[in-house]
Amino acid sequence: MNRRTAIKQFFIIAGGLTILSSCLNDGGASIVLNKLKLSAEDEQFLADLVDVLIPKTDTPGGKDLNLHLFVIKMVDDCESPENQEKFVSGFNKLRKQLNLANGKETENKLANLTDKTDEKIFFEIFKSHAIQGYMNSEYVMKNKVIYKLIPGPYNGAVKING
Amino acid sequence: MANLNIDSEKNRTYDAIVIGSGISGGWSAKELCEKGLKTLVLERGRDVQHIKDYPTTNMMPWEFEHRNEMPYKVKEENPIVSKCYAFHEDAAHFFVKDNEHPYIQEKPFDWIRGYQVGGKSLLWARQTQRWSDFDFEGPARDGFAVDWPIRYADLAPWYAYAEKFAGIAGDHDGLPELPDGEFLPGYPLNIVEKYFKEKVQKKFPERKVISARCAHLSKPNQIHIDQGRVQCQNRVLCQRGCPFGGYFSSNATTIPWAAKTGNMTLRPHSVVHSILYDEKKGKAVGVRVIDTDTKEEIDFYAKLIFVNAAAINTNLILLNSKSNRFPNGLGNDSGVLGKYVAFHNYSARIYAEYEGLLDYTAEGRNPAGGGYIPRFRNLHKQETDFLRGYAAGFGASRSKESDRSGLGLGLKENLLNPKLGIWQVGSHMMGETIPKESGMVSLDANKTDDWGIPLLKIAVDYDDNDEKMKKDYIAVMTEMFTDAGFTNIRPDTHWQAPGLDIHEMGGARMGHDPKTSVLNKWNQMHAVKNVFVTDGACMTSTSTQNPSLTYMAFSARSVDYAISEMKKGNR
Repeated sequence: MNRRTAIKQFFIIAGGLTILSSCLNDGGASIVLNKLKLSAEDEQFLADLVDVLIPKTDTPGGKDLNLHLFVIKMVDDCESPENQEKFVSGFNKLRKQLNLANGKETENKLANLTDKTDEKIFFEIFKSHAIQGYMNSEYVMKNKVIYKLIPGPYNGAVKING
Repeated sequence: MANLNIDSEKNRTYDAIVIGSGISGGWSAKELCEKGLKTLVLERGRDVQHIKDYPTTNMMPWEFEHRNEMPYKVKEENPIVSKCYAFHEDAAHFFVKDNEHPYIQEKPFDWIRGYQVGGKSLLWARQTQRWSDFDFEGPARDGFAVDWPIRYADLAPWYAYAEKFAGIAGDHDGLPELPDGEFLPGYPLNIVEKYFKEKVQKKFPERKVISARCAHLSKPNQIHIDQGRVQCQNRVLCQRGCPFGGYFSSNATTIPWAAKTGNMTLRPHSVVHSILYDEKKGKAVGVRVIDTDTKEEIDFYAKLIFVNAAAINTNLILLNSKSNRFPNGLGNDSGVLGKYVAFHNYSARIYAEYEGLLDYTAEGRNPAGGGYIPRFRNLHKQETDFLRGYAAGFGASRSKESDRSGLGLGLKENLLNPKLGIWQVGSHMMGETIPKESGMVSLDANKTDDWGIPLLKIAVDYDDNDEKMKKDYIAVMTEMFTDAGFTNIRPDTHWQAPGLDIHEMGGARMGHDPKTSVLNKWNQMHAVKNVFVTDGACMTSTSTQNPSLTYMAFSARSVDYAISEMKKGNR
């Protein structure tokens, strides 16, 4: 195996960020996780779910940008143990209730989750990190809502046209 | 063997030693080296070379592992530094982690530190205002601390000197309470900040809203180009280190300038244990250092010692410099060393919205951050039930926000089409606190750090005066915001510990009288004439202005004095 191929297998691009991939082929998640325990099946479900949230159109959707992996990474590293627990239990409860094949029904269900339930808390965490990953993705920042490292001169009074 | 030792001692002897390489140490080093003194600059942290050691400086947002958020574990392990507004993935490597140098909080104190060449000059908020006689005369007029042994006229030429070299952007506002300086063009207020300025001017003529003055090269002069710096590019990613040298840091400015003279020896990884005092000579002869790589204890010698370790660590070094002559710390005949430590009260902010001027927006980023309101309370005479007053920052911004409700196609569409919101305005207070004897740092009798140096105990807190001032700030700002037609006015008075302002000052204060102060009017120790302290430790009172520019001026002025004294043979 040449070095380039090897490196490719170790890293996965999620929204432009490289994440260390799991070397184990044990049916677990495809990225290295310290806290969360997710199966390959869980990961697949989250990938489908992120496409419900940010679907593919003529521009890439959530799954294309690997935003589900970004969410998992953020929950694993940046959320409190309490939130991680809610995330996992809410996820396990919610996935039994969702039929992702039926888009309308799924959207309805997600839009009407009861406040303070684990399902709702899971989905809020999931959605906020998915949006964070999307808006900060290389694709969006380079092509849609442009981020400039060097923004040009400051103008404190720009007249808005129209 | 004896000869070897003599040689080795000779190799460890310099004309001058500067302890610390942050804002004030960098200035001391530059001035000493320029004047021809072989100077050893000691830095407890690692080296950080301009550009080369700014690993995140050109990273795009998506390149940060957690999009600039700090992992939960890091926050949990570092509750103190995590409170700092700039402690994120892009700059975390320039901050001291809590466990790297523990201290004892006898009262809550968030001690924010940067242990590397350049110190906190890489991380500072770059606000630079001169003090005036309203500040230097404060303690004498209002009867606290001791009288400053200097007045504005003593420092004015040195402010000018420091400003020209550092590069300070600002407008000439003609305010006696905030003297004008040698400015590069100021950054403009935006349209709502200007509107607020005009409203305030009409209703409250004694209150001024001006463009904040900051250490950015809005339009570099030849001296800045000679330093290898170019115009600030308005990135406002300063905490990462600036590849353009757009703002003043020791790393971009004074340290390379000092190095260019060939007179500077920079020694990183060198924690200063103490200053060595020779009783027979009646002066300090050197500095004891612990090499953090080898743990070896090494003594360096010099005729002249500048202590620029940053306010609290300067106190630590002086307190730990014990001898028969000075059993309670170097130069501490008065017993005030470590006492009268104060800070700036940043514990109130206020936010609001403005629904006017919606046919305008602002584009780009303002390195100055917006407006500045100099102190107007109790300025000419005592007029409230609290002493002194506060300055305030003021800023307005209008940003594009996406509607994040819903999901699916509608959400995606909304995310990709952010809309301009209304104007958001905000202000924060910067209150003068009154130095008290009880506001102190001291050495723990038993516990030591990794280098065998006693742990520092910090006992500094707010008092009633601060509470009253905070209330007044909220009342005054609410009044001005209301008059300007701002809506949804939201005061925020959540408590923050002293220290988080990162403006800790005092402990080795200046004064006329050796019985009540540590330093004289030249920042020179009353009792040890070849030791100078020109960082925050020297401050007799705190005023409301951000202090760094004053440290730059003190450093240049003190080096000039020390060398003229040396030439006269007075050392």
